[in-house]
Amino acid sequence: MAIGSNRFAGIAVATAVLLSNFPALAAADIAYGEYLANECVTCHQRSGNYSGIPSITGWPAETFVQALNTYRWRERTNPIMQTIADQLTDADMAALAAYFEQLGPPQLSSDEPAPGKACGDAPTADGKTKTC
Amino acid sequence: MITRRRFGQLAGGSVLTAAAGGVAAPAIAQGKAKVVVIGGGAGGATAAKYIAKDSAGAIEVTLVEPSKQFVTCFHSNLYLGGVKKFEEITHTYDKLASAHGIKLNHQLAASVDRDKKQVKLADGSMLAYDRLVLSPGIDLKYDSVPGWGKEHEETMPHAWKAGPQTKLLKAKLDAVADGGVIIMIAPPNPFRCPPGPYERVSMMAHALKAAGKTKCKIIVLDAKDKFSKQALFMEGWAAQYPGMIEWLAPSVHDGIKSVDPKTNTVTTGFETYKGAALVNVIPAQMAGAFARDAGLVNESGYCPIDPTNMKSAKDANIYIIGDACIAGDMPKSAFAANSQAKAAAMMVRGELAGAKTFPARYANTCWSLIDTDNTVKVGGRYEAKDGKISAVENFISQTGETAALRKQTQEENIGWYAGITADIFG
Repeated sequence: MAIGSNRFAGIAVATAVLLSNFPALAAADIAYGEYLANECVTCHQRSGNYSGIPSITGWPAETFVQALNTYRWRERTNPIMQTIADQLTDADMAALAAYFEQLGPPQLSSDEPAPGKACGDAPTADGKTKTC
Repeated sequence: MITRRRFGQLAGGSVLTAAAGGVAAPAIAQGKAKVVVIGGGAGGATAAKYIAKDSAGAIEVTLVEPSKQFVTCFHSNLYLGGVKKFEEITHTYDKLASAHGIKLNHQLAASVDRDKKQVKLADGSMLAYDRLVLSPGIDLKYDSVPGWGKEHEETMPHAWKAGPQTKLLKAKLDAVADGGVIIMIAPPNPFRCPPGPYERVSMMAHALKAAGKTKCKIIVLDAKDKFSKQALFMEGWAAQYPGMIEWLAPSVHDGIKSVDPKTNTVTTGFETYKGAALVNVIPAQMAGAFARDAGLVNESGYCPIDPTNMKSAKDANIYIIGDACIAGDMPKSAFAANSQAKAAAMMVRGELAGAKTFPARYANTCWSLIDTDNTVKVGGRYEAKDGKISAVENFISQTGETAALRKQTQEENIGWYAGITADIFG
Protein backbone atom coordinates (compact mmCIF):
# COMPACT_ATOMS: atom_id res chain seq x y z
CA MET A 1 0.00 0.00 0.00
CA ALA A 2 0.91 3.62 -0.33
CA ILE A 3 1.29 3.90 3.41
CA GLY A 4 3.99 1.27 3.49
CA SER A 5 5.99 2.75 0.67
CA ASN A 6 5.72 6.22 2.16
CA ARG A 7 6.96 4.93 5.47
CA PHE A 8 9.98 3.35 3.83
CA ALA A 9 10.73 6.50 1.91
CA GLY A 10 10.46 8.34 5.18
CA ILE A 11 12.94 6.10 6.91
CA ALA A 12 15.53 6.90 4.28
CA VAL A 13 14.98 10.58 4.89
CA ALA A 14 15.19 10.09 8.63
CA THR A 15 18.43 8.24 8.42
CA ALA A 16 19.96 11.10 6.53
CA VAL A 17 18.59 13.53 9.06
CA LEU A 18 19.81 11.60 12.07
CA LEU A 19 23.26 11.12 10.61
CA SER A 20 23.60 14.84 10.14
CA ASN A 21 22.62 15.50 13.77
CA PHE A 22 19.40 17.48 13.27
CA PRO A 23 20.33 20.11 10.72
CA ALA A 24 17.64 22.51 9.60
CA LEU A 25 15.18 20.31 7.79
CA ALA A 26 13.94 20.98 4.32
CA ALA A 27 10.57 22.73 4.02
CA ALA A 28 8.97 19.47 2.94
CA ASP A 29 9.99 17.85 6.21
CA ILE A 30 8.57 20.74 8.22
CA ALA A 31 5.34 20.33 6.27
CA TYR A 32 5.34 16.64 7.08
CA GLY A 33 6.08 17.47 10.70
CA GLU A 34 3.17 19.89 10.80
CA TYR A 35 0.89 17.24 9.36
CA LEU A 36 1.99 14.77 12.02
CA ALA A 37 1.79 17.49 14.68
CA ASN A 38 -1.90 17.90 13.99
CA GLU A 39 -2.32 14.73 16.04
CA CYS A 40 -0.26 16.09 18.93
CA VAL A 41 -2.06 19.41 19.24
CA THR A 42 -5.35 17.79 20.14
CA CYS A 43 -3.83 17.55 23.63
CA HIS A 44 -0.54 19.49 23.61
CA GLN A 45 -1.55 23.04 22.77
CA ARG A 46 0.31 24.47 19.80
CA SER A 47 0.52 27.79 21.64
CA GLY A 48 2.50 26.12 24.42
CA ASN A 49 -0.19 26.84 26.98
CA TYR A 50 -0.29 24.32 29.77
CA SER A 51 -3.53 23.09 31.33
CA GLY A 52 -2.63 19.64 32.58
CA ILE A 53 -0.80 18.25 29.57
CA PRO A 54 2.80 19.37 29.11
CA SER A 55 3.81 21.86 26.46
CA ILE A 56 6.00 20.39 23.73
CA THR A 57 6.41 23.62 21.79
CA GLY A 58 9.91 24.98 21.26
CA TRP A 59 11.77 21.97 22.59
CA PRO A 60 15.20 21.29 21.09
CA ALA A 61 14.67 18.65 18.38
CA GLU A 62 17.10 16.23 19.96
CA THR A 63 15.32 16.36 23.33
CA PHE A 64 12.00 15.90 21.58
CA VAL A 65 13.12 12.72 19.84
CA GLN A 66 14.69 11.40 23.04
CA ALA A 67 11.44 11.92 24.89
CA LEU A 68 9.48 10.03 22.24
CA ASN A 69 12.01 7.23 22.35
CA THR A 70 11.57 6.84 26.10
CA TYR A 71 7.96 5.93 25.32
CA ARG A 72 8.91 3.73 22.42
CA TRP A 73 11.31 1.79 24.63
CA ARG A 74 8.85 1.74 27.55
CA GLU A 75 11.06 3.72 29.92
CA ARG A 76 8.04 5.97 30.43
CA THR A 77 4.66 4.46 31.03
CA ASN A 78 1.85 6.61 29.60
CA PRO A 79 -0.01 4.24 27.24
CA ILE A 80 -1.26 7.06 25.00
CA MET A 81 2.27 8.27 24.36
CA GLN A 82 3.52 4.70 23.99
CA THR A 83 1.02 3.97 21.21
CA ILE A 84 1.90 7.28 19.55
CA ALA A 85 5.61 6.49 19.67
CA ASP A 86 4.98 2.98 18.39
CA GLN A 87 3.37 4.36 15.24
CA LEU A 88 6.13 6.86 14.48
CA THR A 89 9.18 6.02 12.40
CA ASP A 90 12.52 7.70 13.10
CA ALA A 91 11.74 9.97 10.15
CA ASP A 92 8.37 10.87 11.64
CA MET A 93 9.95 11.73 14.98
CA ALA A 94 12.61 13.86 13.34
CA ALA A 95 10.02 15.75 11.31
CA LEU A 96 7.84 16.31 14.37
CA ALA A 97 10.81 17.46 16.41
CA ALA A 98 11.85 19.90 13.70
CA TYR A 99 8.35 21.29 13.44
CA PHE A 100 7.88 21.89 17.17
CA GLU A 101 11.40 23.30 17.55
CA GLN A 102 10.91 25.89 14.82
CA LEU A 103 7.72 27.13 16.50
CA GLY A 104 9.99 28.64 19.12
CA PRO A 105 9.38 28.84 22.86
CA PRO A 106 5.80 29.44 23.93
CA GLN A 107 4.78 32.87 25.17
CA LEU A 108 3.63 31.95 28.66
CA SER A 109 2.16 34.13 31.31
CA SER A 110 4.09 34.16 34.59
CA ASP A 111 1.70 31.86 36.43
CA GLU A 112 2.16 29.02 33.99
CA PRO A 113 4.86 26.41 34.39
CA ALA A 114 7.72 26.35 31.96
CA PRO A 115 7.58 23.87 29.08
CA GLY A 116 8.31 20.34 30.15
CA LYS A 117 7.67 21.06 33.82
CA ALA A 118 4.09 19.92 33.79
CA CYS A 119 4.86 16.56 35.29
CA GLY A 120 7.41 17.88 37.67
CA ASP A 121 10.38 16.85 35.61
CA ALA A 122 11.29 17.84 32.10
CA PRO A 123 12.99 15.25 29.97
CA THR A 124 16.69 15.22 30.75
CA ALA A 125 19.49 14.90 28.27
CA ASP A 126 19.54 11.13 28.71
CA GLY A 127 15.76 10.95 28.31
CA LYS A 128 15.25 9.01 31.55
CA THR A 129 12.28 10.94 32.86
CA LYS A 130 9.87 8.53 34.48
CA THR A 131 6.52 10.22 34.80
CA CYS A 132 3.73 11.12 32.34
CA MET B 1 -7.74 16.20 -11.87
CA ILE B 2 -10.04 18.88 -10.51
CA THR B 3 -7.18 20.36 -8.59
CA ARG B 4 -5.00 20.66 -11.65
CA ARG B 5 -7.83 22.07 -13.71
CA ARG B 6 -8.66 24.59 -11.01
CA PHE B 7 -5.05 25.57 -10.72
CA GLY B 8 -4.98 26.02 -14.47
CA GLN B 9 -7.93 28.38 -14.15
CA LEU B 10 -6.28 30.32 -11.38
CA ALA B 11 -3.02 30.59 -13.27
CA GLY B 12 -4.86 31.66 -16.40
CA GLY B 13 -6.77 34.24 -14.41
CA SER B 14 -3.57 35.70 -13.04
CA VAL B 15 -2.10 36.07 -16.48
CA LEU B 16 -5.26 37.78 -17.71
CA THR B 17 -5.24 40.10 -14.74
CA ALA B 18 -1.69 41.09 -15.47
CA ALA B 19 -2.47 41.64 -19.12
CA ALA B 20 -5.81 43.41 -18.87
CA GLY B 21 -5.91 45.13 -15.53
CA GLY B 22 -8.93 44.35 -13.37
CA VAL B 23 -11.02 42.87 -16.16
CA ALA B 24 -10.32 39.30 -15.19
CA ALA B 25 -10.78 39.83 -11.48
CA PRO B 26 -14.29 38.33 -11.40
CA ALA B 27 -12.91 35.22 -13.04
CA ILE B 28 -10.43 34.87 -10.21
CA ALA B 29 -13.14 35.41 -7.63
CA GLN B 30 -15.28 32.79 -9.29
CA GLY B 31 -12.29 30.51 -9.41
CA LYS B 32 -11.74 30.62 -5.67
CA ALA B 33 -12.62 27.23 -4.35
CA LYS B 34 -15.57 27.04 -1.99
CA VAL B 35 -16.02 24.68 0.92
CA VAL B 36 -19.21 24.50 2.94
CA VAL B 37 -19.02 22.80 6.32
CA ILE B 38 -22.28 21.75 7.93
CA GLY B 39 -22.25 21.30 11.70
CA GLY B 40 -20.16 23.28 14.18
CA GLY B 41 -19.24 20.52 16.61
CA ALA B 42 -15.90 18.85 17.21
CA GLY B 43 -15.80 17.54 13.64
CA GLY B 44 -17.16 20.44 11.61
CA ALA B 45 -15.51 23.29 13.48
CA THR B 46 -12.14 21.52 13.35
CA ALA B 47 -12.48 20.84 9.62
CA ALA B 48 -13.48 24.45 8.90
CA LYS B 49 -10.55 25.77 10.93
CA TYR B 50 -7.93 23.49 9.42
CA ILE B 51 -9.09 24.07 5.84
CA ALA B 52 -9.14 27.84 6.33
CA LYS B 53 -5.99 28.08 8.44
CA ASP B 54 -3.82 25.97 6.20
CA SER B 55 -5.05 27.26 2.87
CA ALA B 56 -4.35 30.88 3.86
CA GLY B 57 -7.23 32.38 1.92
CA ALA B 58 -7.02 30.15 -1.14
CA ILE B 59 -10.26 28.41 -0.15
CA GLU B 60 -13.43 30.17 0.96
CA VAL B 61 -14.83 28.31 3.96
CA THR B 62 -18.38 28.74 5.23
CA LEU B 63 -19.44 27.08 8.46
CA VAL B 64 -23.18 26.48 8.71
CA GLU B 65 -24.30 26.03 12.30
CA PRO B 66 -27.58 27.29 13.80
CA SER B 67 -26.20 27.91 17.31
CA LYS B 68 -23.95 30.81 18.18
CA GLN B 69 -22.59 28.94 21.16
CA PHE B 70 -21.50 25.35 21.35
CA VAL B 71 -21.91 23.30 24.51
CA THR B 72 -19.64 20.28 24.46
CA CYS B 73 -21.15 16.89 25.14
CA PHE B 74 -17.70 15.90 26.31
CA HIS B 75 -17.27 16.95 29.94
CA SER B 76 -21.02 17.63 30.24
CA ASN B 77 -21.03 14.75 32.73
CA LEU B 78 -18.53 16.73 34.77
CA TYR B 79 -21.03 19.57 34.87
CA LEU B 80 -23.66 17.08 36.01
CA GLY B 81 -21.35 15.90 38.78
CA GLY B 82 -20.64 19.44 39.95
CA VAL B 83 -17.01 19.23 38.83
CA LYS B 84 -17.29 21.86 36.08
CA LYS B 85 -19.44 24.94 35.55
CA PHE B 86 -21.73 25.21 32.54
CA GLU B 87 -19.72 28.16 31.23
CA GLU B 88 -16.64 25.95 31.19
CA ILE B 89 -18.21 23.64 28.62
CA THR B 90 -19.61 26.47 26.47
CA HIS B 91 -17.66 27.91 23.53
CA THR B 92 -18.17 30.47 20.78
CA TYR B 93 -17.15 30.53 17.13
CA ASP B 94 -15.78 34.06 17.26
CA LYS B 95 -12.13 33.15 16.72
CA LEU B 96 -12.91 30.92 13.77
CA ALA B 97 -14.18 34.02 12.01
CA SER B 98 -11.70 36.60 13.32
CA ALA B 99 -8.50 34.54 13.25
CA HIS B 100 -9.13 32.25 10.31
CA GLY B 101 -11.54 34.13 8.06
CA ILE B 102 -14.26 31.50 8.20
CA LYS B 103 -17.69 32.77 7.17
CA LEU B 104 -20.19 31.86 9.88
CA ASN B 105 -23.75 31.22 8.81
CA HIS B 106 -25.92 30.70 11.85
CA GLN B 107 -28.89 28.90 10.45
CA LEU B 108 -30.06 25.40 9.75
CA ALA B 109 -28.96 23.69 6.55
CA ALA B 110 -32.18 22.48 4.95
CA SER B 111 -31.13 20.32 2.00
CA VAL B 112 -28.50 19.70 -0.61
CA ASP B 113 -28.66 19.38 -4.38
CA ARG B 114 -25.73 17.05 -4.93
CA ASP B 115 -25.82 17.38 -8.72
CA LYS B 116 -25.70 21.17 -8.65
CA LYS B 117 -23.42 21.17 -5.61
CA GLN B 118 -25.60 23.61 -3.71
CA VAL B 119 -26.79 23.67 -0.12
CA LYS B 120 -30.14 25.25 0.63
CA LEU B 121 -30.40 27.00 3.97
CA ALA B 122 -33.46 27.42 6.18
CA ASP B 123 -34.06 30.96 4.86
CA GLY B 124 -34.10 29.67 1.29
CA SER B 125 -30.68 31.04 0.34
CA MET B 126 -28.25 28.82 -1.52
CA LEU B 127 -24.57 28.11 -0.90
CA ALA B 128 -22.55 26.70 -3.78
CA TYR B 129 -19.67 24.41 -2.95
CA ASP B 130 -16.79 22.62 -4.59
CA ARG B 131 -16.54 20.32 -1.59
CA LEU B 132 -19.04 19.80 1.20
CA VAL B 133 -17.93 18.64 4.64
CA LEU B 134 -20.73 17.13 6.68
CA SER B 135 -20.50 16.80 10.43
CA PRO B 136 -24.16 16.67 11.44
CA GLY B 137 -23.66 14.51 14.51
CA ILE B 138 -26.41 12.18 15.67
CA ASP B 139 -30.16 12.33 15.85
CA LEU B 140 -32.12 10.48 18.49
CA LYS B 141 -34.49 7.68 17.53
CA TYR B 142 -37.48 8.96 19.45
CA ASP B 143 -39.46 5.83 18.63
CA SER B 144 -36.92 3.39 20.02
CA VAL B 145 -38.19 3.37 23.61
CA PRO B 146 -41.87 2.30 23.92
CA GLY B 147 -43.98 5.06 25.44
CA TRP B 148 -41.28 7.74 25.20
CA GLY B 149 -40.97 10.38 22.48
CA LYS B 150 -39.77 13.89 21.78
CA GLU B 151 -42.77 15.29 23.60
CA HIS B 152 -41.51 13.60 26.77
CA GLU B 153 -37.93 14.83 26.74
CA GLU B 154 -38.71 17.56 29.27
CA THR B 155 -40.13 15.01 31.69
CA MET B 156 -37.65 12.24 31.01
CA PRO B 157 -34.59 14.05 29.61
CA HIS B 158 -32.03 12.40 27.37
CA ALA B 159 -29.32 15.06 27.70
CA TRP B 160 -27.48 13.32 24.87
CA LYS B 161 -27.20 16.57 22.94
CA ALA B 162 -25.60 19.10 25.24
CA GLY B 163 -27.35 22.36 26.02
CA PRO B 164 -30.69 22.99 27.74
CA GLN B 165 -31.18 19.24 28.17
CA THR B 166 -27.94 19.07 30.14
CA LYS B 167 -29.10 21.79 32.52
CA LEU B 168 -32.49 20.14 32.84
CA LEU B 169 -30.98 16.80 33.78
CA LYS B 170 -28.78 18.43 36.41
CA ALA B 171 -31.72 20.35 37.87
CA LYS B 172 -33.70 17.13 38.11
CA LEU B 173 -30.74 15.27 39.61
CA ASP B 174 -30.18 17.96 42.22
CA ALA B 175 -33.87 17.80 43.15
CA VAL B 176 -33.80 14.06 43.88
CA ALA B 177 -34.44 13.42 47.57
CA ASP B 178 -32.33 11.02 49.59
CA GLY B 179 -33.58 7.50 48.97
CA GLY B 180 -34.93 8.34 45.50
CA VAL B 181 -34.55 5.90 42.64
CA ILE B 182 -32.99 7.06 39.37
CA ILE B 183 -33.46 4.99 36.24
CA MET B 184 -31.17 5.31 33.25
CA ILE B 185 -32.16 3.61 30.01
CA ALA B 186 -28.86 3.06 28.18
CA PRO B 187 -28.76 2.85 24.37
CA PRO B 188 -27.89 0.05 21.95
CA ASN B 189 -24.75 0.23 19.80
CA PRO B 190 -23.67 2.20 17.89
CA PHE B 191 -24.12 5.45 19.76
CA ARG B 192 -22.34 8.69 20.62
CA CYS B 193 -19.69 8.35 23.33
CA PRO B 194 -19.60 4.66 24.31
CA PRO B 195 -18.39 5.24 27.91
CA GLY B 196 -20.68 8.28 28.30
CA PRO B 197 -23.68 6.66 30.01
CA TYR B 198 -21.43 5.02 32.57
CA GLU B 199 -19.41 8.14 33.31
CA ARG B 200 -22.79 9.87 33.68
CA VAL B 201 -23.92 7.30 36.23
CA SER B 202 -20.64 7.83 38.08
CA MET B 203 -21.10 11.60 38.12
CA MET B 204 -24.73 11.26 39.22
CA ALA B 205 -23.59 9.12 42.15
CA HIS B 206 -20.78 11.59 42.84
CA ALA B 207 -23.23 14.49 43.07
CA LEU B 208 -25.65 12.53 45.23
CA LYS B 209 -22.88 11.40 47.56
CA ALA B 210 -21.52 14.94 47.83
CA ALA B 211 -25.01 16.06 48.87
CA GLY B 212 -25.19 13.31 51.49
CA LYS B 213 -27.90 11.46 49.58
CA THR B 214 -26.25 8.05 49.72
CA LYS B 215 -29.54 6.18 50.13
CA CYS B 216 -30.36 6.98 46.51
CA LYS B 217 -30.12 4.22 43.98
CA ILE B 218 -29.29 4.44 40.28
CA ILE B 219 -30.50 1.55 38.15
CA VAL B 220 -29.10 1.24 34.64
CA LEU B 221 -31.35 -0.69 32.27
CA ASP B 222 -29.00 -1.37 29.39
CA ALA B 223 -29.77 -2.48 25.85
CA LYS B 224 -26.32 -4.11 25.74
CA ASP B 225 -24.80 -7.16 27.40
CA LYS B 226 -21.52 -5.35 27.97
CA PHE B 227 -20.20 -1.80 27.80
CA SER B 228 -17.08 0.30 27.41
CA LYS B 229 -14.56 0.14 30.29
CA GLN B 230 -17.01 -2.13 32.12
CA ALA B 231 -14.55 -3.70 34.56
CA LEU B 232 -13.15 -0.27 35.42
CA PHE B 233 -16.55 1.29 36.06
CA MET B 234 -17.79 -1.72 38.03
CA GLU B 235 -14.69 -1.66 40.21
CA GLY B 236 -15.05 2.09 40.76
CA TRP B 237 -18.76 1.93 41.56
CA ALA B 238 -18.26 -0.82 44.14
CA ALA B 239 -15.42 1.09 45.80
CA GLN B 240 -16.76 4.65 45.68
CA TYR B 241 -20.53 4.27 45.66
CA PRO B 242 -21.33 0.98 47.44
CA GLY B 243 -24.95 -0.03 47.00
CA MET B 244 -25.82 3.04 44.95
CA ILE B 245 -25.47 1.75 41.36
CA GLU B 246 -27.03 -1.33 39.85
CA TRP B 247 -26.35 -2.20 36.22
CA LEU B 248 -28.69 -4.67 34.54
CA ALA B 249 -28.05 -6.36 31.20
CA PRO B 250 -31.00 -7.13 28.90
CA SER B 251 -30.69 -10.80 29.81
CA VAL B 252 -31.51 -9.74 33.39
CA HIS B 253 -34.20 -7.07 32.90
CA ASP B 254 -35.69 -8.72 29.80
CA GLY B 255 -36.04 -5.53 27.80
CA ILE B 256 -37.83 -2.21 28.19
CA LYS B 257 -41.51 -2.94 27.66
CA SER B 258 -42.80 0.57 28.26
CA VAL B 259 -42.21 3.87 29.99
CA ASP B 260 -44.91 6.16 31.34
CA PRO B 261 -43.70 9.76 31.57
CA LYS B 262 -46.86 10.79 33.50
CA THR B 263 -46.01 8.59 36.47
CA ASN B 264 -42.25 8.27 35.89
CA THR B 265 -42.71 4.53 35.61
CA VAL B 266 -40.49 2.14 33.67
CA THR B 267 -41.65 -1.40 32.98
CA THR B 268 -39.23 -4.11 31.96
CA GLY B 269 -39.96 -7.74 31.21
CA PHE B 270 -38.88 -8.50 34.75
CA GLU B 271 -40.00 -5.62 36.94
CA THR B 272 -41.98 -2.38 37.12
CA TYR B 273 -40.22 0.66 38.60
CA LYS B 274 -43.01 3.00 39.72
CA GLY B 275 -42.62 6.66 40.56
CA ALA B 276 -38.92 7.00 39.90
CA ALA B 277 -37.34 10.22 41.15
CA LEU B 278 -35.68 10.69 37.77
CA VAL B 279 -35.71 8.79 34.49
CA ASN B 280 -32.92 9.49 32.01
CA VAL B 281 -33.77 7.98 28.63
CA ILE B 282 -30.84 7.68 26.25
CA PRO B 283 -32.45 6.28 23.11
CA ALA B 284 -31.00 4.59 20.03
CA GLN B 285 -29.29 6.94 17.57
CA MET B 286 -28.62 7.55 13.87
CA ALA B 287 -26.83 10.04 11.64
CA GLY B 288 -28.17 13.61 11.67
CA ALA B 289 -31.18 14.37 9.47
CA PHE B 290 -29.25 16.34 6.87
CA ALA B 291 -27.12 13.32 6.01
CA ARG B 292 -30.11 10.98 5.99
CA ASP B 293 -32.19 13.29 3.79
CA ALA B 294 -29.27 13.66 1.39
CA GLY B 295 -29.25 9.91 0.82
CA LEU B 296 -25.80 9.51 2.31
CA VAL B 297 -26.62 6.80 4.87
CA ASN B 298 -26.88 3.06 4.42
CA GLU B 299 -29.22 0.59 6.11
CA SER B 300 -27.43 1.14 9.43
CA GLY B 301 -28.64 4.75 9.58
CA TYR B 302 -25.06 6.04 9.43
CA CYS B 303 -22.87 7.18 6.54
CA PRO B 304 -20.38 4.88 4.84
CA ILE B 305 -17.07 6.59 4.04
CA ASP B 306 -13.79 5.90 2.27
CA PRO B 307 -11.44 5.17 5.18
CA THR B 308 -8.44 6.60 3.32
CA ASN B 309 -9.84 10.12 3.15
CA MET B 310 -13.26 10.43 4.95
CA LYS B 311 -15.12 10.93 1.67
CA SER B 312 -18.68 9.72 1.45
CA ALA B 313 -18.88 6.34 -0.26
CA LYS B 314 -21.87 7.75 -2.14
CA ASP B 315 -20.61 11.17 -3.30
CA ALA B 316 -17.00 12.10 -4.12
CA ASN B 317 -17.67 15.80 -3.50
CA ILE B 318 -18.76 15.23 0.08
CA TYR B 319 -16.73 14.38 3.16
CA ILE B 320 -18.50 13.00 6.23
CA ILE B 321 -16.85 13.09 9.63
CA GLY B 322 -17.72 12.60 13.27
CA ASP B 323 -20.57 10.70 14.86
CA ALA B 324 -22.61 10.49 11.64
CA CYS B 325 -20.06 8.41 9.74
CA ILE B 326 -19.20 4.74 9.90
CA ALA B 327 -15.64 4.98 11.16
CA GLY B 328 -14.85 1.28 11.54
CA ASP B 329 -13.03 0.63 14.80
CA MET B 330 -13.16 4.27 15.91
CA PRO B 331 -15.83 5.14 18.46
CA LYS B 332 -18.19 8.07 18.09
CA SER B 333 -16.32 10.66 20.14
CA ALA B 334 -15.20 14.27 19.93
CA PHE B 335 -11.58 13.15 19.84
CA ALA B 336 -12.33 10.87 16.89
CA ALA B 337 -14.29 13.60 15.09
CA ASN B 338 -11.43 16.05 15.58
CA SER B 339 -8.97 13.49 14.23
CA GLN B 340 -11.13 12.64 11.22
CA ALA B 341 -11.67 16.35 10.54
CA LYS B 342 -7.94 16.95 10.21
CA ALA B 343 -7.59 14.10 7.73
CA ALA B 344 -10.56 15.41 5.72
CA ALA B 345 -9.22 18.98 5.82
CA MET B 346 -5.88 17.83 4.45
CA MET B 347 -7.59 15.92 1.63
CA VAL B 348 -9.83 18.90 0.79
CA ARG B 349 -6.81 21.18 0.58
CA GLY B 350 -5.10 18.59 -1.58
CA GLU B 351 -8.01 18.55 -3.99
CA LEU B 352 -8.76 22.26 -4.09
CA ALA B 353 -5.48 23.99 -3.36
CA GLY B 354 -2.90 21.47 -4.51
CA ALA B 355 -1.61 20.98 -0.96
CA LYS B 356 0.60 18.00 -0.29
CA THR B 357 -1.28 15.12 1.26
CA PHE B 358 -0.13 12.21 3.37
CA PRO B 359 -1.83 8.94 4.31
CA ALA B 360 -4.60 9.59 6.82
CA ARG B 361 -3.80 8.69 10.42
CA TYR B 362 -6.45 8.63 13.07
CA ALA B 363 -6.41 8.60 16.87
CA ASN B 364 -8.80 8.52 19.77
CA THR B 365 -8.76 8.61 23.55
CA CYS B 366 -11.79 8.71 25.83
CA TRP B 367 -11.28 9.68 29.47
CA SER B 368 -13.98 8.95 32.03
CA LEU B 369 -14.19 10.41 35.51
CA ILE B 370 -15.43 7.89 38.08
CA ASP B 371 -14.92 9.97 41.23
CA THR B 372 -12.74 12.87 42.34
CA ASP B 373 -9.24 12.37 40.95
CA ASN B 374 -10.18 8.89 39.75
CA THR B 375 -10.13 8.82 35.97
CA VAL B 376 -9.70 6.00 33.48
CA LYS B 377 -9.07 6.06 29.76
CA VAL B 378 -9.36 3.95 26.65
CA GLY B 379 -8.01 4.70 23.21
CA GLY B 380 -6.22 3.66 20.12
CA ARG B 381 -4.58 4.57 16.88
CA TYR B 382 -6.08 3.75 13.52
CA GLU B 383 -5.46 3.72 9.80
CA ALA B 384 -7.24 2.64 6.64
CA LYS B 385 -6.91 -1.10 6.31
CA ASP B 386 -9.12 -3.87 4.94
CA GLY B 387 -11.63 -1.36 3.60
CA LYS B 388 -12.31 0.36 6.91
CA ILE B 389 -10.68 2.44 9.59
CA SER B 390 -8.93 -0.28 11.56
CA ALA B 391 -7.24 -0.13 14.93
CA VAL B 392 -3.50 -0.65 14.74
CA GLU B 393 -3.00 -0.35 18.49
CA ASN B 394 -5.30 -0.03 21.50
CA PHE B 395 -4.86 0.69 25.18
CA ILE B 396 -7.07 0.82 28.25
CA SER B 397 -6.57 1.66 31.93
CA GLN B 398 -6.24 -1.32 34.24
CA THR B 399 -8.23 -2.27 37.30
CA GLY B 400 -6.33 -1.84 40.54
CA GLU B 401 -4.33 1.17 39.38
CA THR B 402 -2.81 3.43 42.05
CA ALA B 403 -4.61 6.56 43.19
CA ALA B 404 -1.63 8.58 41.97
CA LEU B 405 -1.98 7.22 38.44
CA ARG B 406 -5.72 7.83 38.42
CA LYS B 407 -5.14 11.40 39.57
CA GLN B 408 -2.56 11.90 36.88
CA THR B 409 -5.06 10.57 34.33
CA GLN B 410 -7.59 13.14 35.51
CA GLU B 411 -5.04 15.93 35.07
CA GLU B 412 -4.55 14.59 31.55
CA ASN B 413 -8.33 14.60 31.03
CA ILE B 414 -8.55 18.26 32.05
CA GLY B 415 -5.53 19.10 29.90
CA TRP B 416 -7.02 17.30 26.94
CA TYR B 417 -10.24 19.31 27.22
CA ALA B 418 -8.31 22.57 27.24
CA GLY B 419 -6.22 21.33 24.32
CA ILE B 420 -8.97 20.04 22.08
CA THR B 421 -11.26 23.02 22.63
CA ALA B 422 -8.36 25.35 21.78
CA ASP B 423 -7.71 23.16 18.74
CA ILE B 424 -11.35 23.30 17.64
CA PHE B 425 -12.37 26.86 18.49
CA GLY B 426 -9.10 28.76 18.99
